[in-house]
Amino acid sequence: MKLLRSVSMALALVVAVTSSLLAQSGVTITGTVTSDQGVPLPGATVLLQGTNIGAQTNDAGRFTVVVPSARANGQSAVLTARVIGYSAASIPITLTAGSSISHDFQLAVNPFHLGEVVVTGAGTSTTRERLTTTINTVDSSALRRAVQPQNVVSALAAQAPNVEVRTQSGEPGASASIRIRGATSLTGANQPLFVVDGQPIDNSTVSTQGGNQGTVAMNRAADINPDDIESIEILKSSAASAIYGARASNGVVVITTKRGHAGPTRYTVTSTETWDKPRVPDLLQRTYGQGSNGVNAVCGGPDCAVTALSWGAKLAPGTPVFNHENELFDTGLTADNNIQISGGNERTTFFASGGLNSQDGYFKGPNNRYNRASARLKGSQVISSKLTIGGNFSYIDGRGKYVQKGSNVSGIMLGAMRTPPNFNNQETYTASGLQRPYRFPEPTSVGSMLTAAYYDNPFFVLDNPGNRSELGRSISNVNADWNPLSWLQVQYTLGADYYNDSRLQALPLTSANDKPGNVIRFLANNLEIDHNLLATARRGFGSNIDATFTVGQNLNSRRYRQLADEGDGLIAPFPLAIQNTVDKGASNLLTLVFPFSGTAEFKSLAHIESYFAQTELSFYDQLVVNAGIRNDGFSTFGASTRRHNFPKASAAWTFTKALGDFGSGVLNYGKLHFAYGETGKEPPIYAAVTTLTSGQTFGSGYSDAILSSINGQGGLVTSQVEGNPALRPERNRENEYGVDLGLLGNRVDLSATYYTRRADDVILGVPVNSSGTGAQFAVKNAASITNKGTELTLNLRPVTTAAFAWDVGILFGQNRGNVKSLAGAEFIPYNTEGFNGGIGSSTVGFAPGVIRGSDFVLCGRGLHLNDAAQTDVDAVCGPEANAQHALYLAANGQPIVDNTDRVIADPNPKYTMSYKTGLTLWNKLRLTGLLDVRKGGQVWNQTMSVLNNFGTSKLTEIRSEQGQFGKNYLTDVYPHVAGPGAGVVAFHNPQEWQAWFTGNGGGFGPVGAQAVEDASFAKLREISLSYTVDQSWVRSLTGFSTVDLRIGGRNLKTWTKYKGYDPEVNLGGAEYLTQGIDYFINPPTRSFVLSMSFNR
Amino acid sequence: MPREYLKMMNHRQWTAAVAIAGILGATACHLDSLTGGELSTDPNNPVTATNTQLFVGTQSALWALWGSDASRTAGLLTQQLSGLARQYAALANNYAINTNVTNGFQRALYVSGGLVDIKKLEAGSLAARDTIFLGIARVLEGAFMGTGADLFGNLVYKEAVTGNPTPELDDQLFVYDSVQTVLSAAVENLSVEPNSNNIGPGAGDLVYGGDPAKWLALAHTLKARFYLNTAETRPEAYAQALAEAKLGIQSESGTYFGAFTQATGENNFWYQFDIILRGGDMGPGIFLDNLLKSRNDPRRDEYFAHDASDQPVDLSADRLRPDFQQPYVSYDENTLIWAEAAYRTGDQVTALAKLNEERANHGLPAEAVAGQALLNEILTEKYIADFQLGEQVWRDYTRTCTPNLVPSSAAAGSPTGGDIPGRLNYDQSELNTNPNYPDDSKVFWNPDDPPNATSDGTGAACLGR
Repeated sequence: MKLLRSVSMALALVVAVTSSLLAQSGVTITGTVTSDQGVPLPGATVLLQGTNIGAQTNDAGRFTVVVPSARANGQSAVLTARVIGYSAASIPITLTAGSSISHDFQLAVNPFHLGEVVVTGAGTSTTRERLTTTINTVDSSALRRAVQPQNVVSALAAQAPNVEVRTQSGEPGASASIRIRGATSLTGANQPLFVVDGQPIDNSTVSTQGGNQGTVAMNRAADINPDDIESIEILKSSAASAIYGARASNGVVVITTKRGHAGPTRYTVTSTETWDKPRVPDLLQRTYGQGSNGVNAVCGGPDCAVTALSWGAKLAPGTPVFNHENELFDTGLTADNNIQISGGNERTTFFASGGLNSQDGYFKGPNNRYNRASARLKGSQVISSKLTIGGNFSYIDGRGKYVQKGSNVSGIMLGAMRTPPNFNNQETYTASGLQRPYRFPEPTSVGSMLTAAYYDNPFFVLDNPGNRSELGRSISNVNADWNPLSWLQVQYTLGADYYNDSRLQALPLTSANDKPGNVIRFLANNLEIDHNLLATARRGFGSNIDATFTVGQNLNSRRYRQLADEGDGLIAPFPLAIQNTVDKGASNLLTLVFPFSGTAEFKSLAHIESYFAQTELSFYDQLVVNAGIRNDGFSTFGASTRRHNFPKASAAWTFTKALGDFGSGVLNYGKLHFAYGETGKEPPIYAAVTTLTSGQTFGSGYSDAILSSINGQGGLVTSQVEGNPALRPERNRENEYGVDLGLLGNRVDLSATYYTRRADDVILGVPVNSSGTGAQFAVKNAASITNKGTELTLNLRPVTTAAFAWDVGILFGQNRGNVKSLAGAEFIPYNTEGFNGGIGSSTVGFAPGVIRGSDFVLCGRGLHLNDAAQTDVDAVCGPEANAQHALYLAANGQPIVDNTDRVIADPNPKYTMSYKTGLTLWNKLRLTGLLDVRKGGQVWNQTMSVLNNFGTSKLTEIRSEQGQFGKNYLTDVYPHVAGPGAGVVAFHNPQEWQAWFTGNGGGFGPVGAQAVEDASFAKLREISLSYTVDQSWVRSLTGFSTVDLRIGGRNLKTWTKYKGYDPEVNLGGAEYLTQGIDYFINPPTRSFVLSMSFNR
Repeated sequence: MPREYLKMMNHRQWTAAVAIAGILGATACHLDSLTGGELSTDPNNPVTATNTQLFVGTQSALWALWGSDASRTAGLLTQQLSGLARQYAALANNYAINTNVTNGFQRALYVSGGLVDIKKLEAGSLAARDTIFLGIARVLEGAFMGTGADLFGNLVYKEAVTGNPTPELDDQLFVYDSVQTVLSAAVENLSVEPNSNNIGPGAGDLVYGGDPAKWLALAHTLKARFYLNTAETRPEAYAQALAEAKLGIQSESGTYFGAFTQATGENNFWYQFDIILRGGDMGPGIFLDNLLKSRNDPRRDEYFAHDASDQPVDLSADRLRPDFQQPYVSYDENTLIWAEAAYRTGDQVTALAKLNEERANHGLPAEAVAGQALLNEILTEKYIADFQLGEQVWRDYTRTCTPNLVPSSAAAGSPTGGDIPGRLNYDQSELNTNPNYPDDSKVFWNPDDPPNATSDGTGAACLGR
């Protein structure tokens, strides 16, 4: 707060100085902009047409436009007021030097933002009225109130139908993934292209050590300060994104940052504080102690090794027990402070901002943070009446400290949740400073810990300072807008996106995952230069036909450099640096199978040279036809197939203009649109050639391996993946049908879209005959995927008076993905996505990214038992049980393992919905709420299954009871039972329960399917109350004209049957195609938000 | 005036058009490059290699073929080792082999360091007119493909690595014959005097230091080995094996081994498997340990470590060193091939002399046996000497049924019907991608294989068959 006060005082000083500079003897135009109901409209743009002269209204809807005397020659001009959600209005005025004009605008509600300019990509734009495809727009106020507003991808959750957003966890620095209308590709994470102010930027997510373990890694679009964003357009349909050709098969997210407007300089200082708590559903039992078969395990003295299990006796009353979840957490605090200054005159505009987002995560201790500092300067200068040049410079500094997570014996939740309730993890260290893991609680020396198998004490994990990242990034461009002729506009943008990402991921001495200690350094830098040149001709033919013709050129260069280095075995305990390790540049054998081992370098360079043309014709202001083509040349395309065309065509007919409202008085506006478009995805880099490798020549199924170089002699062998010089881009074709309706005096608007898309030539590694080809896989254009879906948007404005306004919005999205063919294979596994028991895959007949594993023997699957009689299961079950897919129980009441590998979980939801509503009183007090619903989709809750094995989960309290399938155990997964053991008690005592859970019934057993849960949920994403203070004392006290105050809550309530932490989180993060794997993930947050914004 | 205006417009249009075209053209020329440099060539991985680099990579792949998965399987099935836990218990006790369990074993013959790179090395040697290197490459080819014929029976060889996506299989005997042909060519190449072209791998050869004489001896011993492996159906092969063994490895210094080191990624496979990765999965074979004990063989402690009660607990500490120089084709093997081939061709005197030469080398007293007993002694001696030598121990067992192993009783329900498996299934990935393979998913024994031994060296019925 002290910071804020000094900032506001400094700004007040600046204001005083600049105000005096603005006093000139031109024309002063003042007025208010209100809705036709008299509600003041803040943020409206009032602009002298054909010039840069204008202003934005303040929160009371007032504006002041000053026309300098040099530009006031007594000529006529048109003054236009426009704001999102309302029809624009114009008046003619005469500019006489020294005069004052007063005019108030009353704008009619415009449900579809029809007059609004919509950015349609690659520098093109049109008005929403003329739009022939589905493009969703998200404005800045929605971003600000979003659940995780610090990450622009997270902030898009529930903002548009069929835009599915998943945030990996509530940790600072966690990635978020976004999937638009399902997956169209089988490699990579199917993330859309991100374009900021006309310039494509990198949004990769690269984990240091694979997504399942190590630490979280940020998706790089999160580097953008969301407070700088004016609006986001999501180009969902292929027709809309076809202008980006072979980069657009997963859609395009077009971000436009704020800019300055001519008029008084505006100042905004915003400070938002968010208090984060994890959502902890209390998953652990606190009744039974460490031990096995009902007998407590006791440490036998120094260097004792104690059982990993909590299958001991019931703890004696009064035994201290610990909540191994809650004890890890405190309240996280995110402070987001932003300063923005913008303004300008008729020749020069500017926007400058500085932001500091500082997240202290919910884990205790200092090693759970992410800080992003950013600065932006954006300006434009009119050089002549025909030429305007601009620049947009931003710099981001991101720094993180992380906690090891996931499938990792040094991961925080893994060690914590496996700890017996009667072991005190908070006694973290021995007198001599060694960590006390619960399986080896009294270590005497570092040496004694080297041989013991254990998990890390979670507080030791929290104390590890060795996981850090430092990022510096500049996303900048220069641009020019040249209008050589009244009908011709030439736009040029030259942008560069450069970042340098430097990471350390280290495990200190005695860490379970690498007991002698381990240091990984990871350095990456990325440079993307983009050149976009566009010429647009606009011409009217008579009064009824308008034509726009655009040609453009895009040149792009992407250069990536990565260096990973690893040292093993710390010499001194600190520093955690490679030169302080015994085995530099090498890695321990266990990590040899990971993407890099020891020192490894990766470099890539890719170029694009593309041309595009499109035309838009408007007939009688009601029929709009749009057609275009992009010709792409990518260096990543196979040499024999260097250029490819991506056409599009679309049309929209505003039928109410031709046919009226059919006499109903209900239908105010109606538009039908149809679009066809093709987009693509480029092949993976360097897939054209078969290379040699200096890595391992051989790795057996059991991980023993040998390198091709031996004892200093360099060796090379041929890669097992056969290159393909004829690779084409993947091609995605989509038909989209839509209707937009405005009803009941525009109190209701409804949009509906249906689409079918088919991706062909999808690239995958096809298994080939090794004896014939000398390779294991060949990269080929071989698979097909379809997606079909429906999207609905309904907005209701039942009350819109000056004193009281109420609006309701409903979004509905549904997408069905289907892998049609995989070059003859039934499925392809993603071995790094998931692990034993549940592996991500793409399987024919399912959406991409389903989880495969084994199940128990179920009725109705045509199975035969592996007994002497080869028992026909279905014959024993009978028709009813077969229809129910009942669980087949052997005579002992227990199920039988079915080794068949099959799809056990589909994480893709059946549909998603969100409901938002807002109440506004006197245009000052506003209450908003957002409810997010996801129906269907499954999560593989392997966390719970493994905790059952260890006897720490709450579910294992069932050990005091007798257990019977179909009656009191696993009834939600297997409600029906059949077979000779139906009705038989399967488990009689804790020993039998232990045998079951540590065998076929637990997470280390072979049956993944028993841990699959429905991931449906409803979440109260956001509820907030804001108030605008604009009384005169505000100004006299603070120097600002208005103050916005907001309090809110995020994720306050979740309704779900899911038994783990949260059905939304995912082990692997945004880099993986497969979502829906829960394995000792770090929980998401619920937050309380307090925000203040000072405006002038 | 309108005319004037139009003219002006045209002029302006023209200017604008030229300007746009100029910008487009200039920038296009500047960046019009979708090929060349890092755009077309992977900057991370080479696409060409020297002969020596290919040789080093190929040789480490050969050690993997003889030292890793497949040789562990052979050790389990011949009861030289036991499977104690996880997959290895199932493999040893239930003969749980199918197209998926051993998937990848067959592929290793052809990919990454296998035939694909040997062919490159041969072509490179030809281009450099390096006859010695060519001979060495052909020895490697014979070693790979001969071992492949041992393990799988019929195999793709003629059309191997030709780019044919669905190559035809060749008969096992055809494969063995082709191996003899390529090894004969190697012998010819290696017999050429070294000159400025003929330099071979030199220091890149970590086993023989590039010594052509040692490679020549190895070629002869391999020829002898693979002749012997066809002798079930071709009795004349014994004489051929005898002739080759006489030219084969004549001293310990000629033994071919894996030159493992202490560096990560260069370790002996048994160290990796038993110490680092899968401790407790495999252990000493009780049958072999008892055999050694009953024969007072000093190799008992050389092979296995024993606890206080004299029970074998693991491989010996020496054999579990990360840089244990594992022998794969040995002087021992050559001596015993000589002995067996001499016996089979009627020369019992030489056979006994060679047997006793081998025994003396291991500190064992000379024997005086004759007839079936002599053959049995030779084969038993070879079973012992073959320990961890690779897959040949398994091939000798299927060929001679000596020693006459008792199959695992738990394997009665296995696809082999309780028999000790005689070969590996083809890789599932090979079956899936080539319709020319026979259905190998259920039929364990390849009907085209040569018959396996039905009796042992003493004439008793073969228990494992």
